[in-house]
Amino acid sequence: MRLVYCILTTIVFSFLAEQVFAWWSLAVISFLSAALFYLSPARGFLSGFLSGLILWLSVSLYADIANGHILSTRMAALFHLPGATSFLVVAALVGALVGGFAGWSGALVRKYMLPAR
Amino acid sequence: MRLLRTLLLLFFTAGLIFLLDQPLSGLPALGRLLDPVNGWAAQAEPMGQFTSQDINLEALELPATVFFEERMVPHIVAQSEHDLYFLQGYIHAYFRLWQMDFQTRAAAGRVGEVVGERMAKDPRTGKIRNAVLEFDRGQRRKGMVFGAENSLEAMEADARTKLMLDAYRDGINSFITSLKFKDLPLEYKLMGFAPEPWTNLKTALLLKYMADDLTGYTEDFALTALRDALGTEQFNFLFPERRLQSKPVIPEGTAFAPASLSRPSSPPDDSVWVHFSSKAVARLDDYETAVGSNNWVLGGVHTRTGAPILCNDPHLGLNLPSLWFEMQLQSPEMNVYGVSLPGAPGIIIGFNDSLSWGFTNNYRDVKDFYEIERLNAGQYIFDGQSKNFDKRVETIGIKGKPDFTDTVYYSLHGPIMYDPSFPDPLGTGRLFAVQWMAHRASNELAAVYLLNRARDYLAFTEAIAHFECPAQNMIYADRAGNIAIWGQGVFINKWKDQGRYVMKGNTSATLWGEKIPVAENPHVLNPAQGFLFSANQITTDTSYPYWYNGYFHDFRSDRIYELLTATAPATVEDNMNMQQDVVSELARAGMPVLETLLRPDTIARAEWQGALNADSRDATRFQVFWELFYDKLWKKDFSGTLYPSPERTLDILLNDTSVAYHSAIVQAVEQVRQNWQDSLSRLAGADSWYEAKNTRLTHLARIDAFGYQHLKIGGWGVTINAAKPTHGPSWRMVVSLDKDSIRAFGVYPGGQSGNPGSPFYGSSVSRWAEGKYYRLLFLPRNAKGAQSQTHVWTLHPKGK
Repeated sequence: MRLVYCILTTIVFSFLAEQVFAWWSLAVISFLSAALFYLSPARGFLSGFLSGLILWLSVSLYADIANGHILSTRMAALFHLPGATSFLVVAALVGALVGGFAGWSGALVRKYMLPAR
Repeated sequence: MRLLRTLLLLFFTAGLIFLLDQPLSGLPALGRLLDPVNGWAAQAEPMGQFTSQDINLEALELPATVFFEERMVPHIVAQSEHDLYFLQGYIHAYFRLWQMDFQTRAAAGRVGEVVGERMAKDPRTGKIRNAVLEFDRGQRRKGMVFGAENSLEAMEADARTKLMLDAYRDGINSFITSLKFKDLPLEYKLMGFAPEPWTNLKTALLLKYMADDLTGYTEDFALTALRDALGTEQFNFLFPERRLQSKPVIPEGTAFAPASLSRPSSPPDDSVWVHFSSKAVARLDDYETAVGSNNWVLGGVHTRTGAPILCNDPHLGLNLPSLWFEMQLQSPEMNVYGVSLPGAPGIIIGFNDSLSWGFTNNYRDVKDFYEIERLNAGQYIFDGQSKNFDKRVETIGIKGKPDFTDTVYYSLHGPIMYDPSFPDPLGTGRLFAVQWMAHRASNELAAVYLLNRARDYLAFTEAIAHFECPAQNMIYADRAGNIAIWGQGVFINKWKDQGRYVMKGNTSATLWGEKIPVAENPHVLNPAQGFLFSANQITTDTSYPYWYNGYFHDFRSDRIYELLTATAPATVEDNMNMQQDVVSELARAGMPVLETLLRPDTIARAEWQGALNADSRDATRFQVFWELFYDKLWKKDFSGTLYPSPERTLDILLNDTSVAYHSAIVQAVEQVRQNWQDSLSRLAGADSWYEAKNTRLTHLARIDAFGYQHLKIGGWGVTINAAKPTHGPSWRMVVSLDKDSIRAFGVYPGGQSGNPGSPFYGSSVSRWAEGKYYRLLFLPRNAKGAQSQTHVWTLHPKGK
């Protein structure tokens, strides 16, 4: 359950932070949430990964559907990907990996500094 | 151990973020770009959600309104001149900011600052060099910034154009300052730079960019080399100064006013000319992509309604975002509609409530080269005296590399464009200065200002008098029924052949002389024939008192003349159809002769009449044959220089007197026979004409994913619908100037938005390719009906 709360928190606060700060605020939030929720390193990664994936995928899907896939199709061609969907997934995977590593880092740092609860 | 692991991971994560935040080896900063919140998806414009807005803009003097049509054409209704041009700048930036930025950077030779290094083989020397740097250096060396600065001074000295420039600049900057990273056009995110504040110099640069596109040729070098290599007689035969059967822009027989200046006599001997020892190989790609255009006007006697009809389709580079931006500008003194150039205020081609005008390139030579005899690093020889160069140190930025410093030396002829470090098209490494009308302090914007407000022919002539370079064939029609055309620009009263070849720069005998008074430029008002046209053919017959040379083309003008004289009273639709005409005079006239030589093979089916229709296979067969034949015929003697023009080649092909070339022609046909069949079989399956030629729209940053390929459109450079692979009709306009109203139609390849993520980025592409038009909505003054437009921006001066 803690994992789910952590993911929800990460998604909401990353989304808010990205309104003001640059794209990497996703990493900062993933890092902090994984630490504050006392996740294990593996779960820290999972939390950040899923948060990044879900956030970036849903924001881009929302925009892409309203846009009639015009831009995602062009972006896919730009990156030599087979289609709009694959572009959305690949782009979101970048967010997922960044979130994942940040969450893992957060959890590890927490574990090093505050090993037990 | 745990500490090490933790630190390692932290380091890795930070490194990952760092790397994704920078552009790396040609890739954009992926993190910034792929983030949907602030990156790419912020430019995915929602369909059908362009909404009405209330906008507060501090700098506005009075409230204003902008009506947007369904296809995003803005109609600005402002109450002061300042507000009008302010809003035009704001709207240009709103739709086309990156394009304006990039084009003016290109004009100024500042592409490297944002693109960095691109290594490629230099076509002049065969060495691997940074192609972007060479481009930037070329821009500086030909004096683009020098010319723009000169013109800026003239534009800012005129109160009217100063107001226009300042208000326009402020409008752009007001939009730029409202942007966050998220709002930046996608290309900025892809290329990793940000807009800088707009300046009036940028507008001047954009206008010089157009001048360069239309007058910036270097064929003087090839002609000089060819004249030396061929000898006078053969040279004049193959490269005649004028084609006798040309139908000039000003109808034959039109009386020209006697010249107020007498023609200077040519220097008595050969000492003024530069010679090239061997027949050197010139690089002439800029000449071969020469751009063209059509315009014509029918007087009331030739139209169904009795009202004049004016048509114009300027042929320019086919790029996205489109060169043109369509709009209507309305202020208490003015009501004008047409296409504007993002980066410059005013309407360039269009109509107002009294009259309409259009342009084609005039092609008279206004760019000449001089060899400079250098005395020492800082001096050169002129009339036996030493003269000092002016020096201009050009600092050229290269993203990710140290700046490059290039010193450009200015002689009294102009900047030394070519020297050993930047060789001329023949690769001689000698010093050549360029004298170019675009270097001069001209104020074309004053012409635009006055043209947009002109009410009659007199006002039209006063307006265009300010248009000095690039020279244009300016066609005119008004609602009173007048039609006119001017070969307008500023030209030098030259002695015969002056500037057609490279000249010695060490003597005053070759200096440019007086300007020809503008009133003596070739023009005609209401000619007896009742119609006028231009398509880059020669301006006048031989009765024009001044000498000039140029790069004229005839096939399109011949065809326009044929159609204009053949049709019964014409309708708007007839004129639209004429703009789609794809009949090749070259194919029609040349094919019978070529087929005779090609027997037993035939080029096309007997019923084919030379129309280069999009799905025609006959067109492909002829075009491929002609390209191979033309190349084979001239390659041996002219490889790498200039070929005799297709017009001249056709004349030789048809003319009995060309016995000298008969065997070469027969041989060339024989030699390409097999090659032609092979080329055609390679096209198998994609051999309709549009597939074979591939007319395309290329994104300005060469991003293939943002372009369009293989557009289904016929035609070629020799046909009225001059859709070549990367050049073509950039704006088609047909205007009927009826007594009670103006009916206008237009279309351009692209769309109003410059954003590849917008539904309006390429929304007109297929309509343009199909040859269909939009009815242009020209709102009358104080139009209440305008309120019914889909989207309205209501603009308020903040705090007023």
